[in-house]
Amino acid sequence: MEHDDDRPPADAATALQLIRDQRAATVSRLEPDARLIYWPWGVAWLVGFGLFFLRYSPDGRVLVRLPDWLPLTALFALLVAAGAIQAVAGARAYGQVTGDSARRGRWYGWAWALGSVSVYAAVGRVSEHLPHDLAALLWSAAAVGLTGALHLAGGAIWLDRDLFRLGVWISVINVLGVIAGPGWHALVISVAGGAGILIAGTIARLRQRRRS
Amino acid sequence: MTDLDPVIHAQARLRVVAALSALGDGDRITFPRLQELLAMTAGNLSVHLRKLEDAGYVEISKTHRGRTPATLIRLSRRGRLAFEEYTEAIRTLLDPSQLGPTPSKEQS
Repeated sequence: MEHDDDRPPADAATALQLIRDQRAATVSRLEPDARLIYWPWGVAWLVGFGLFFLRYSPDGRVLVRLPDWLPLTALFALLVAAGAIQAVAGARAYGQVTGDSARRGRWYGWAWALGSVSVYAAVGRVSEHLPHDLAALLWSAAAVGLTGALHLAGGAIWLDRDLFRLGVWISVINVLGVIAGPGWHALVISVAGGAGILIAGTIARLRQRRRS
Repeated sequence: MTDLDPVIHAQARLRVVAALSALGDGDRITFPRLQELLAMTAGNLSVHLRKLEDAGYVEISKTHRGRTPATLIRLSRRGRLAFEEYTEAIRTLLDPSQLGPTPSKEQS
């Protein structure tokens, strides 16, 4: 190949196949595996909010006797892990590409960081004056609401229908969970939210497979 | 297959151009990453990039990422156009019935 790669492709069909293969290979190598982007968040919500529901159940009950600190610690650790996995997968895929898409990704990352800080600053200020169950509802509803909105924005930025749909789903179940009330919100987010993210990741992966 | 653009109509350069065409508009890729994607040796890739640059099909820029120097590559507007015309010509060769502008443009 070193010697004769200056030669033209054997025929038109070979040339077209070569173009298709190279483009598909490039696209699939330059984007991270969708499972690594979605699934860790799905697991974090499923397990984290699930533990929350079991320990801080509706109407002040306790379904499973877990240490007080465990649900929030587990949720936080799982969310940090999901963020780390996403960052590594993203950096490995896009790391050597600069330009408009890198800038888009960076600014989107800033939207998450700044949005979180501004929302949590307000929630933290208010929640200290609330009973525990309402404080927990406020925290998780604000976090999930922000997540839903940013997924909608992500769908708009990359014209990604699945990401946009996931944003719609997260926003709708957040409203339903808030109406259902403290305790129930965690159950709705754990089951419907966690499963929604896992399914969205599976759909995104299948799309990637079909393209390559 | 005689009047096909001779710059692109060579296996290695066709692969280089096809790979670069898959990048987003306004994106550049580093030399080592492109080399890895194409599984070419550095010397071989340099030779082909030089030819593409001479034809005005790729833009090569030197920059610094942190302290390490980096070479960034992208398809020029002219290169993208030449690649589209080449792909169109190949398609017409395969199916002469669809002469003229084809509706099935490659989606990126």
